[in-house]
Amino acid sequence: MLFFFTDLLVLGCITSIMVVGLNLQYGYTGLLNFAFYMYVAIGAYIAGVTTMGPTTLPGVTYILGWSLPWYVGLLLGGVVAAIAGAIVFAFTVRRLRSDYLAIVTVAAAFIVYNVINSFVPLFDGATGLFNVPLITGNANLSTEQESLVVLLVSAVILVLFVWISMRIFRSPFGRLLRAIREDEAVTSAFGHASWRPQLWVFVIGCFMAGIAGGLFIFYITAWSPSAFLPLESFFLLAALIIGGSGNYWGAVFGAFVVIEGLAELSRYAPTFGNEADAGAIRAIIIGVALILVLRYRPEGIFPERWLKWYRTTASAARKRVLPGREPS
Amino acid sequence: MTNFINFAYGDFMTFGAYIAWTTADRGVPFFVAVIIGGIATGLLGVVANIVIFRPFMRRGVRPVTLLIAGVGLSFIVQNGITIIWGSEPVRFNVTLGNAIHLGPLVFTPGDLVTIGAAVVLLVLLHAMLTYTKFGKSLRATSNNVDLAKACGIDSDRVISLTWFIAGILTAVAGVGLVLQESTLDPTTGFTELFVIFGAVILGGIGRPYGAMLGALVVGILTEVSGSYVDSAYKTSIAFGVVIVLLLFRPQGLFSAAGKTN
Repeated sequence: MLFFFTDLLVLGCITSIMVVGLNLQYGYTGLLNFAFYMYVAIGAYIAGVTTMGPTTLPGVTYILGWSLPWYVGLLLGGVVAAIAGAIVFAFTVRRLRSDYLAIVTVAAAFIVYNVINSFVPLFDGATGLFNVPLITGNANLSTEQESLVVLLVSAVILVLFVWISMRIFRSPFGRLLRAIREDEAVTSAFGHASWRPQLWVFVIGCFMAGIAGGLFIFYITAWSPSAFLPLESFFLLAALIIGGSGNYWGAVFGAFVVIEGLAELSRYAPTFGNEADAGAIRAIIIGVALILVLRYRPEGIFPERWLKWYRTTASAARKRVLPGREPS
Repeated sequence: MTNFINFAYGDFMTFGAYIAWTTADRGVPFFVAVIIGGIATGLLGVVANIVIFRPFMRRGVRPVTLLIAGVGLSFIVQNGITIIWGSEPVRFNVTLGNAIHLGPLVFTPGDLVTIGAAVVLLVLLHAMLTYTKFGKSLRATSNNVDLAKACGIDSDRVISLTWFIAGILTAVAGVGLVLQESTLDPTTGFTELFVIFGAVILGGIGRPYGAMLGALVVGILTEVSGSYVDSAYKTSIAFGVVIVLLLFRPQGLFSAAGKTN
């Protein structure tokens, strides 16, 4: 029973990290990245191959095969995901309208998926990586203790990332990002090159994705292409929009309730028709919820405007000086 | 034609194919089954439009919102199919006769039926768009909804009818695809969606004839590439085409630069 809860919380924390990262990209500055999970996968693979040592089993092939400590591998995973994000950004985001950007990101994700799945020397093809070392190494812990350790690590990282999101949100940089999201032409008319802040926030988002991927692979100790079907990115996006895009608490809520909560609930859903599985029911519920939220509450359950970003010292001072001119 | 990207399109294709498969399985003649699949998909399109997309259109939301609503619809349709028919691939058992050799090319009867249906439908579509009153209203609505309304065109009806016709075409395409691949599973259409996007963009968005030519080019490119690189990377080629096109020629290969539709 304890394991059930810690397991749920670990997965919730890891998913939250992903959605918080996605929120930086879509929520803060309107970059529609339908391939977010690709960066999660990159982080997971890199974290795997840099920590699990050279291949020992015949027929299992992967690159690098280093035996670094887990935290270095985790960080490397995040960095490589961030670099991948920067490269994709350089080629696509500056050129494309948001809906075309969405198509390109999905197409790119399909290609990466396809290559990793078919090109065995890279990350062992469709079989994927397994026997990835645990965070605790060889310390002889039970499964419950092990998951408690991972829970602690991912919770700390989640808090750190939410804090970073909050700082970005309240900073002038965050305001600039929102301005770009609302009207890019006006922002550039005010002399801000809109691509530079977007690049930074995109890269930070991809870094968070990579970290989440690394935590994931250390927790479940295996990773294969079936773990990052392109559909996963859509779930993250749905969670963000239902939770409230732009609001980091909304992102956390979306991850815990929409993704993890529904995954648990739909296990108890009645089965009808033939071989209905919980995953399909969950996806339908998410689809319906997504459309309903877009229709009746487009800002999500926790709207962005609930964040009192102007309660910073500088703005508070200005508010005292200029009563009645609250920044909106 | 309604100027937005429908992510659920591929799943409509799967739906049509499944309906046709089920009815054909019950002993209904193949062509009747395809027509039933087409009508069912058309109705699904109309319902999706009225229930989901029309309210958004009325409110005048950003295209991104419609796109995401399409993703939601895609979840619903794709997984609805999984629940009704199961996630295992099914085989489309249609025997239409023996293969026919034409010089170096081999055509199965399935190929011929698909090609024939494609030609007939494209000619019909062309005739409808050019000569009928409905076709003219459709083009007017696609061009400028408000102006079309001001001219007394019932744009709601036109858009619904467009969804219906698109649904029929989609279902026929789905059946054609399944005749080629010979298996069908709930994700068939979703994967194919990006090949379709490639074709549409290649030809130029909003240009039916461009799309036809684009489809031909993308299809041949994907298949021919199969003999040069590992066939496992075949779909990657199509996706690569989509990316390169969107980056370098978003207006399509055959249209003059700067011309908008």
